[in-house]
Amino acid sequence: MAVSAVLISLIPLIYLLVRVATIGISEIAELIFQTRTLELIINSLALAIAVSVSAVALGSMQAWVAVRSNLPGRKVFSVLAALPLAIPSYVAAYAWIAVIPGFSGFFAAWLLLTVGTAPLVYLAVSAALVRFDAGTEEVAQSLGATKLQVFRKVTWPNIRTAAVSGGLLSALYVLSDFGAVSIVRYDTFTRAIYNAYRASFDRNQAAALALVLVLVTVLVLYFESKARGQKFATGKIAGRLGLVELGRWKAPMVLILLGLATVSLLVPLGSLLSWSIEGFGSVDWVVVLGALANSVGLAVSGGVLTTFAALAIAVLTIRHRRKFSVVLERSVWLTHATPGIVVALALVFFSNQVVPWVYQTTLLVLIAYLALFLPNALAAVSTPIRQSPKALDEVSSSLGLSTMQTLRKVVLPIAGPGIFAATTLVILTVLKELPATLLLRPTGMETLATRLWTETSVAAFSAAAPYALLLVVLAGFPAWLLNRAIRKDLEPMEMERYQ
Amino acid sequence: MNKKKNSYFLAALALAPIIALSGCAASTTNSEDSITIYSGRSETLITELLSTFTEETGIEVNVRYGDSAELAAQILEEGSNVQADAFFSQDAGALGALAKEGLTKSLPTDITDLVDASYKSKDSQWVGVSGRARVLVVNPDKVTKVPTSYKDLMDPIWKGRIGIAPTNASFQAFISAVRVIDGEQAAQDFLAAMKVNAVLFEKNGLILQAVEDGVIDAGLINHYYWFELENEIGAGNMKSELVWFEDQDAGNLINVAGAAVLSDNPSANVFVKWLLGDTAQNYFVERTREYSLTGVPEVAGLKPFGEIKAPKIDLSDLDSLAETLELIRKAGLL
Repeated sequence: MAVSAVLISLIPLIYLLVRVATIGISEIAELIFQTRTLELIINSLALAIAVSVSAVALGSMQAWVAVRSNLPGRKVFSVLAALPLAIPSYVAAYAWIAVIPGFSGFFAAWLLLTVGTAPLVYLAVSAALVRFDAGTEEVAQSLGATKLQVFRKVTWPNIRTAAVSGGLLSALYVLSDFGAVSIVRYDTFTRAIYNAYRASFDRNQAAALALVLVLVTVLVLYFESKARGQKFATGKIAGRLGLVELGRWKAPMVLILLGLATVSLLVPLGSLLSWSIEGFGSVDWVVVLGALANSVGLAVSGGVLTTFAALAIAVLTIRHRRKFSVVLERSVWLTHATPGIVVALALVFFSNQVVPWVYQTTLLVLIAYLALFLPNALAAVSTPIRQSPKALDEVSSSLGLSTMQTLRKVVLPIAGPGIFAATTLVILTVLKELPATLLLRPTGMETLATRLWTETSVAAFSAAAPYALLLVVLAGFPAWLLNRAIRKDLEPMEMERYQ
Repeated sequence: MNKKKNSYFLAALALAPIIALSGCAASTTNSEDSITIYSGRSETLITELLSTFTEETGIEVNVRYGDSAELAAQILEEGSNVQADAFFSQDAGALGALAKEGLTKSLPTDITDLVDASYKSKDSQWVGVSGRARVLVVNPDKVTKVPTSYKDLMDPIWKGRIGIAPTNASFQAFISAVRVIDGEQAAQDFLAAMKVNAVLFEKNGLILQAVEDGVIDAGLINHYYWFELENEIGAGNMKSELVWFEDQDAGNLINVAGAAVLSDNPSANVFVKWLLGDTAQNYFVERTREYSLTGVPEVAGLKPFGEIKAPKIDLSDLDSLAETLELIRKAGLL
């Protein structure tokens, strides 16, 4: 299961190599080393770095406030921190343009993608913080460490892995994004890839460019592995969670969080709502309900399938850490920055060459989701598997249980909430996915995202807005669930405080 | 054991929709009374047209919508297993790309004879179906002296005021026309000036919206976008106007949306021929405000087809797209 999932996720890479093999080395070199290509790589990297750094800062701050501070209304703010995940970045971009027509360039792209990906960091860091025992902090403080020192020496090392892997997801998302950057007219490398298809109909050239993106990904992965360190928050859920008194920082913090919510939620949702009011009159509800059902069906099956695969890989790599399994785990990430269209075309190519009968069936769409979102699920599933104490495994095997039994009776129950979170995250992401769904769906099958695409392709935003709104509301549900799942662990501790 | 049950349940949950969905969609074996069309033209624009086709001919249509270029790439990747019987494309370039790879079937003369030689492939691999004119959309409050040629836009007074969509196929066809009519140097100079003057957009529709919103003062677009927006927001609410350049100016180029046949299913030829018949041509004129290529008069309010002083060039001469793209890329616009 693990191996075949990794192989599926590598289909795009194989496809790129096949395509590139058909053109000459000199041609590739000419293409890659022209100034424009370098300029675009720099643009992409600049945006990816800026976005991931600010997303890590914002997301970690939101997580810390929501979990560790005594800010009034932190529960509400925690929901507000997770919800932007429900808004596809292309929808947010359209919504912003509808409000501020001149919204464009680096700043616009940075803003949209930062608030769009900060929730990924927020969720990862929250989960880590919930499992982090504040007792250590108190000890450090009692030994005379300042607040800053405590944060640097005690808190940060414990949330670092989570924050950095959230940042990695954010950076790779930025590298692969086409919708938002094209709408706000910021020139990135992904746009060059799309243009190779759209303007010159040159698959080979597009493939060569996409391969460059894979190399950039390798670079990003390398720095990520340096940055994240090896220390993992261990053990169970924190026994005690000392809430930090914010004092005079309360008011500014509330203002910052409200400002963030305005940018990430209020503006796009307000814009969508006002356009929807115009558009709802002309909506054909039979079509909408059909699209809704398909969206849910694909998302749920994609989510479950992808999480299963991720679980298999996580168990293999974490419980049985060998060189082979580490390579397996890392290689999943290679194509994560490859734009959806490339992954989709790779699967068109692969299925027609190898298994024509799956072409244009739902099965191939689900395989595409697996190839696209396996890393997201893997990231979500790894932490809980890692945290289920290995000592328990040893106890259970000393009691005579087989490996599979141990897995089922010990590891899975502990990692259960993490598996649930991974599934929910993939469901959410699949709901928003467009390019692969559009290309691979069975002829005539509609989802909310494809309907949205249909309506915006004639530039009638009012007709598209109801679909966008429905999609956001639908995706809002898993986003809310995700946040609740993390915070559920907090409740007993909060209760305790009031007793 | 509870966990085990759970995982079986989850597996069933994962598989149920796959089975349910793939059952109904996988096998669309096309007999003569049904065809599969890949359409780069938007569903909102042509879905009604396709049901009329089925009504009139009894041929059922399965249609897959997408971006013209992405569908072309998809057909190329399908290779020997092409699923589409016909491809209805937003522009000639995507059709040319398929023809070049030998994926299109030659069209019979009773189809190709319907269309003027300028608007079809020389070796009968595709035909134009409807015409769209390149125009300049202006904000009349800001643009008092109307340019008479695309070359006027090179003047520094246009800095930051003119919108273009360099990734758009119609814009690229226009640059090809500049190369054919005015020469390579002229095209290079124009693009260099655009690098300085122009605001870049992804789509024609976004250029028009920006002119309407007062973000820019003018833009190079296809004529029908203006009518679509007028249709959406009402005739009285349009702030912008359309302007044509002087006689033979490359900026007055007429592009086409067109169709090609990809399989031996005879219904595909019936479909393409039907697109050039009166019902479909009237539909394009009235509904999408495009120009008929078979002589159906255009809708009132639109400059008559015969009066557009379009440059006299052959659309299949515009297939030197690679050179055009190279120029656009070198200018730093792509």
